[in-house]
Amino acid sequence: MPKVARPKPVLLPELCKGCGRCIEACPKQCISMGTEINQASGLIPVIIDADVCNGCGLCISACPEPYGLTAAGYELEDPKDLYGHRRPEQEGPVTIPDQRIPLPQCEPLVLKGTYASAIGAILAGCRHVFGYPITPSTEGAELMAKLLPQLHGAFLQAVSEVATVNHMYGCGGAGLPCMTFTSSPGFSLMLEGISYMIGAEVPTVFVNVMRGGPGLGNIGPEQADIKLVCRGLGHGNTHGIVLAPTTPQEMLDLTMEAFQLAFKYRNPVIIAADGYLGQITGRVNLPETMVKPGLPDWAVYGDEEHRHNLINSIYLSEPSLEKHNEHLNAKFSLMTTEEQRSKTYKAEGARILVLSCNTPARMAKGAVEKLRRQDVPVGLFQPVTLWPFPIDHLKTWLAPTSGTDPVTDILVVEASAGQLEDELRLALSHAGIQGVRLHHLRHMGGVLPQEPEVIEAVRNIHSNQPQEVTS
Amino acid sequence: MTTATAFFHKFDRHADGKGLKGATTHYCPGCGHGLIHKYIAETIADFGIQDRAIAVSPVGCAVFLYYYMDMGNTQAAHGRAPAVAIGHKMANPNSIVISYQGDGDLASIGLAEIIHAAQLGLPISVIFVNNAIYGMTGGQMAPTTLVGQKSATCPAGRGLFEGLPMQVAEIMAQLSGTVFVERTALYDQKTRKRTRKAIEKAITLQMEGRGFGFVEVLSECPTHLKMDPMQAEAWVRDEMTKTFPLGVLKDDDRAPWFEMKPPEFDPERVAELVGATSVAPERYCTEFPEHLAPEDVSLKLAGAGGDGAQTAAMLVTNAAINEGFDATHIPSYGPESRGGTSYADVHVAKDEVLSPASPSPNILIAFNAPSLAKFGPTVHTGGTIIYDSSVISEVPEFATDVKVVPVPFTEIAQSLGKVLVKNVVALGALQEATHLLEEDSLLFAVRRSLESKCAMIPINEEAFRWGVKAVKEGVTHFE
Ligand code: SF4
Ligand code: SF4
Ligand code: SF4
Repeated sequence: MPKVARPKPVLLPELCKGCGRCIEACPKQCISMGTEINQASGLIPVIIDADVCNGCGLCISACPEPYGLTAAGYELEDPKDLYGHRRPEQEGPVTIPDQRIPLPQCEPLVLKGTYASAIGAILAGCRHVFGYPITPSTEGAELMAKLLPQLHGAFLQAVSEVATVNHMYGCGGAGLPCMTFTSSPGFSLMLEGISYMIGAEVPTVFVNVMRGGPGLGNIGPEQADIKLVCRGLGHGNTHGIVLAPTTPQEMLDLTMEAFQLAFKYRNPVIIAADGYLGQITGRVNLPETMVKPGLPDWAVYGDEEHRHNLINSIYLSEPSLEKHNEHLNAKFSLMTTEEQRSKTYKAEGARILVLSCNTPARMAKGAVEKLRRQDVPVGLFQPVTLWPFPIDHLKTWLAPTSGTDPVTDILVVEASAGQLEDELRLALSHAGIQGVRLHHLRHMGGVLPQEPEVIEAVRNIHSNQPQEVTS
Repeated sequence: MTTATAFFHKFDRHADGKGLKGATTHYCPGCGHGLIHKYIAETIADFGIQDRAIAVSPVGCAVFLYYYMDMGNTQAAHGRAPAVAIGHKMANPNSIVISYQGDGDLASIGLAEIIHAAQLGLPISVIFVNNAIYGMTGGQMAPTTLVGQKSATCPAGRGLFEGLPMQVAEIMAQLSGTVFVERTALYDQKTRKRTRKAIEKAITLQMEGRGFGFVEVLSECPTHLKMDPMQAEAWVRDEMTKTFPLGVLKDDDRAPWFEMKPPEFDPERVAELVGATSVAPERYCTEFPEHLAPEDVSLKLAGAGGDGAQTAAMLVTNAAINEGFDATHIPSYGPESRGGTSYADVHVAKDEVLSPASPSPNILIAFNAPSLAKFGPTVHTGGTIIYDSSVISEVPEFATDVKVVPVPFTEIAQSLGKVLVKNVVALGALQEATHLLEEDSLLFAVRRSLESKCAMIPINEEAFRWGVKAVKEGVTHFE
């Protein structure tokens, strides 16, 4: 039988780092350390004595360089001629759009806030929920743990909030809608991961049911993460849309919307609720449609179409990281102009606006209703997006175009030490608005501002307002 | 013959593929990472699974794994690669997910994630590169640095103050989720071959859905060992293996078990699961109880934990919403719900509940004396107080225009043989004393809440009727 000659290894000197690992691997001692510096690499490649070589290939499997020592050599070839079938680059993945499916007409449900949010996520097509138990957000996770397996989805209890956010990074990076329920201390732990998500453009949804802080604080309702969600989403130039629901109905509606926004911008979206809102039960109407999610073209899904994709936040060279930041900031600007949301109640003709969100906005709404009955010209302005702050909407009340008198005073009602007011002040300052008088009613530590206090505070402002001079 | 690999043919992500970088790695000469990459790339190509494969890169020298691997790539935060890998695996159970980590990444900052992932045991493959030193940050002590070994952060050599090196493969073998754990090396032909085989095995176990495979590879970092590559190989062989003996630490025969069906999006099924129904509940009320408040009636139900105040509040809320009104219920929760006082604020509104708290309720139901004393004085002018006269003997003075109704909730419930139904007695009393809704509205809510415990319906109905009767007939004690 003729002896088949085994091919001898091909050394590409410019790709050899001269480490010498192949030398020891060779049973025939045909490789030796080189002596000459390679002009292209600046390193000293080894030398192979091909005469002695028997083509055993052991040196190849000892070479750490992919193309330093190979059986076939290395030439830049057309990828499609290599190693079997590969999808041509130009046949890039195509985004499979979400589908809207009609829901059967249903009677209103009676739901607590966390449940309403969980159901909103299910209706938005989310079938993957990760989380770590923390009061007062846990019921959302519990409901998911019960329902998702029945829809062939999964709830995974993570080892910590740090793990949670990274499970989400993987699942969101695979292009699927995923979310978590957490509360303030847990949210603090997630911030590193959120920064990675923003950098790598991974869409995810966080429901932060804010509780009393700092530190372990308590489980009462607070709004003291507003600074964190609006200004502190981890390191770097980060921002994310922050939605502030007020009722169980909004918990459902805004959770659904959060997924749309997350995928629209490839960015995390935060739902900032408060402890009260997590627990309050109320009437909730289901929407007319639910979502069957598609799959975005950028997903690292683990299939043929998406093989070339990469989820990554490293940009080694400074100019390319600056460029990436410019790209992210362009998205933030777009969110700022496109996604401001707010609601008002009896703001028409108001000289005083109560500005409030989450549960305090309901107390404020009750106060506005009662004050209006007593002819106090007050209205409610409820920011639904805390970031971007709905300054364009607020502006129309501060300087109305029609003949009505503008708002002269704003009373910020919040369960924090002025974090919502800081957002307002920053927004007013950026918009160059001056002259409106700011007042505040604040509580902290799990105490919420109550309706009678709001009424009293508005009355005080009203009685100190300069009387209109009529001539 | 070409050995197939799953490397990119040209490394376009390495400095944009310019010059020699398009065909070489970023690793130092003699670094073990390149070899491990190669064995992974060959295995993936041999198995023909490039399309399904996802490599999760760590933080550390191997952060740029995605420069080389022609497959899906995700770069993870420091220590979190296994958590990210689990996210990928759950998103697409058909994907083959490889989590690649160094010793600082896996055995220091990422300990919680790797232990949890290994205990959980979802089928992913973890490749752990142990070179006993921090590479990327410049030669600091790793959790696996040997005793006596010098590093930038243990310049005198690692001693007891720094703690002893961590034997990760041994720990992994202890955890229930791992099916295969092996420690291999790269210092000679035999160990390199074992490494290639071990990687193959871990990936096979994942493809077959059998579980979590873990391969620890003792690797050379000539740069920070301050040795040439040959010396580094010898050091791993002669020194490292004393602390980290090579071999298979675990090889369980576990039947394939991992299966996840594609998620379901059937609207009927979703509606059913979330408890939605298209059947309109019967309505019994013809108008809003304006005799109590024009737009919005506020209630407070207060007692001790276990009195059933929250359940009663929930039933009122459900009944009111079934009647087409808006309603809210805020429970007190937290420490209070663990035995102390438990109170609930309920609102029933004609159109919309504005402020859901009840600082001055129209109606108070008090199940014990402290609740009556605390909330009685807050009741709104013209309001109603209903209290359990079986347990409250001292009744404070209230404003004259507040209607006070004593009803022996507990005694009635006891006589029915179930003290738990005292909150339903209270509901009956509430209805008769205030005419908040209609009797049938509340009874409907009670029955619906007991759908899964039908046997309990008669006694609850009776409790309700007794509550009504007690108010009607002015019964304050019941033997
Ligand atoms: S193929 Fe075998 S004999 Fe030839 S150089 Fe390589 S190791 Fe030596
Ligand atoms: S092992 Fe590879 S890189 Fe190292 S000297 Fe040999 S051919 Fe060169
Ligand atoms: S520093 Fe060490 S681990 Fe990092 S590339 Fe160089 S040799 Fe490899």
